[in-house]
Amino acid sequence: MISKMKQLPLIVFLTVLLYGIGGNLSAQQPLKIGSQAPEITLPSITGEQKSLSSMKGNLVLIDFWASWCAPCIQEQPELKRLYAKYHRPGSQSKNFEIFAVSLDSKRDAWQRAITKLGLPWTQVSDLKFWASPVAKTYQLEGIPFNAIIDEKGSIIALNLHGKELDQFLSDKVGK
Amino acid sequence: MKKITQIITVLSLLVSFTFVQGQTKQEPWSSSQLMPPKQLADRIQQAKTLMPLIVNIGPQAVIKGSVDIGPADEKANLKKLETLLSKEDKNREVVLYCGCCPFDRCPNIRPAFSQIKKMGFKNAKLLDIPKNIKTDWIDKDYPVQ
Repeated sequence: MISKMKQLPLIVFLTVLLYGIGGNLSAQQPLKIGSQAPEITLPSITGEQKSLSSMKGNLVLIDFWASWCAPCIQEQPELKRLYAKYHRPGSQSKNFEIFAVSLDSKRDAWQRAITKLGLPWTQVSDLKFWASPVAKTYQLEGIPFNAIIDEKGSIIALNLHGKELDQFLSDKVGK
Repeated sequence: MKKITQIITVLSLLVSFTFVQGQTKQEPWSSSQLMPPKQLADRIQQAKTLMPLIVNIGPQAVIKGSVDIGPADEKANLKKLETLLSKEDKNREVVLYCGCCPFDRCPNIRPAFSQIKKMGFKNAKLLDIPKNIKTDWIDKDYPVQ
C-alpha cells in the first residue's frame, strides 16, 4: 500500500506530461511573434512550386490577399511603393521581399489583377479560396492580413499596414 | 451685427444638413431586405419551403445551390446577373450574397442590388454578412457546395 502511495506522484507526473504532449500535438499553436513562420509551398502564377523558405536571408512580408478583396486591392499601390523603397537585392543592407499568397479561386481573375496592378514580386496560390490549407495554417479570419519574417524565418510582426508598416520596414531595413 | 448672426445661422444649418446627409447615406436595400445567414441556412437544410434563387455576386459560389455570377463590380458580371434575372418571375424570392468583406468595403453588393431593384423584383433580399463568407457561413458549418 505504502509503495503504491509512493508511486502516486510519479503517476500524476507522467499523466500530466502525456496530456501535455497530446495537447500540443492536437491543438494548433497560435500564430505569434517570435515563432517560426510555417512553411508555404504553392504553385506560382506560371505553375512552378515556390516555397517561402527559399526566401530565407531576406526580410519577407507574406501578404495574404485576393483579386476579389477590395481592401487588398486598395493596399497594393502602397505595397508597390514600399517594395520600390526597400527592395535592394545584392546590396550590403537587408533586402526586403514580398511573398504574396492569394486566396483566389479563379485563375484568370488572379492573373488579371497581377497584370493590371503590375505586381513584380512572387505570387502563389492553390486557387482553393478559403479552403486553402494555408488559410488554416496561418489562422486567417479575413484578408488583407500579413506577417513579416526575419532572415531566419521567425515572425517579427503581424498585420501591419500603412504608415505603421513603412515605419517598421524603415527601422528594420534602413532608409 | 444682425446680418452676421443671420449668416452664421444659415451656414450652421448648411453644415448640419450636409452632416445629416452624410450620416444617412442611402443604401439600395432596406433593413427588411437583409436576410440573416442562419435563416437561409435553415431553409436550405430543411428544404421544405419553396427555395429562393440564391445568387453569388462575389468571389465564389460557396452556398449550396447558389448560382455563380461573379463579382458584380465588373460590368460583364452585372450583365450576366441581368440575363439570369430576366428569365425569372418578378415575384420570385431572390437572395444575393457576396461575403468578400464587410458591407462598407464591398464593391459588389450595391451595383447588384440596384440592378435587381431596377428590374422590379418585389422579393429581393441581400444576405446579411457582417464580416465575410468564411466567418459568417463556412465556419458556422452552414451548407456549402
